[in-house]
Amino acid sequence: MKEQPDNTITVLMMGNPNVGKSALFNRLTGANAVVSNYPGTTVDYTAGKLIEGHTTYEIIDAPGTYSLEPHDAAEKVAVLLLDERRGDVVMIVLDATKIERGLYLAFEIMEREYPCIIALNMTDVAHDKQIKVNAAGIQRLLGIPVVETTAISGEGVKKLAGAIRKAQVADMDAIRKRLEGSGEDRDETVPCPGCGGCRGCG
Amino acid sequence: MLKTLSTLEFGETGRVTEIRASRHELNCMGLRTGKKLKMITRQPIKGPVVVLIDEVEIAMGLDLAAQVTVNIE
Repeated sequence: MKEQPDNTITVLMMGNPNVGKSALFNRLTGANAVVSNYPGTTVDYTAGKLIEGHTTYEIIDAPGTYSLEPHDAAEKVAVLLLDERRGDVVMIVLDATKIERGLYLAFEIMEREYPCIIALNMTDVAHDKQIKVNAAGIQRLLGIPVVETTAISGEGVKKLAGAIRKAQVADMDAIRKRLEGSGEDRDETVPCPGCGGCRGCG
Repeated sequence: MLKTLSTLEFGETGRVTEIRASRHELNCMGLRTGKKLKMITRQPIKGPVVVLIDEVEIAMGLDLAAQVTVNIE
């Protein structure tokens, strides 16, 4: 993790449109970025500061994108921010109700070997829709920190801030091995009925 | 029975068997081979096609939908 001379670590928030990146950004930095309930609200990036422990983080809220092959100008901004390595750490924000779609982008980012953490946002909505997400299972599978958050109420945001320093570069080979069930941590998985494909169910 | 996504009737469900268009474009939206989907709406005058996959609605152009093959169950 490269640190700027003034000890500021830059965190780039990436995720699909309408997963709550700006809402989470506002919670983390106390900023007032425009939030709405439809995709494509953020078309340029916003930066804010977060002081956690003795570390100052510069958080950058990027526009939402579905993949790293931009289809419009807003997505181009997000991809450019990532390309220019504006983030020392990439915070991947997922909508807990639309995990699979978000993971596509997550894997694209992880393949580029950025230190990552995952914010599993909208857990309140997932709970209401009775969608169960095994955050611990995903964390074990990917080998990067996964924190459940609800940006709207602020739940999990403090934990998320504390987890930024634990960001990890994902080991794609290890993930593949774990998925194929040949990894040695296969035995560590705990049974979890109805989690929806984390392979922890045995 | 195999059908292209652009010819699916309203409410019809099926499983994606083949994507001939740029896979990347649809995959990143959550539409991939093996996925079950349901036709929500097909707008008239070559309008967009909307399908439901895992509680998520995905809209695409008719031309793109014509390149997706679905097996009706």
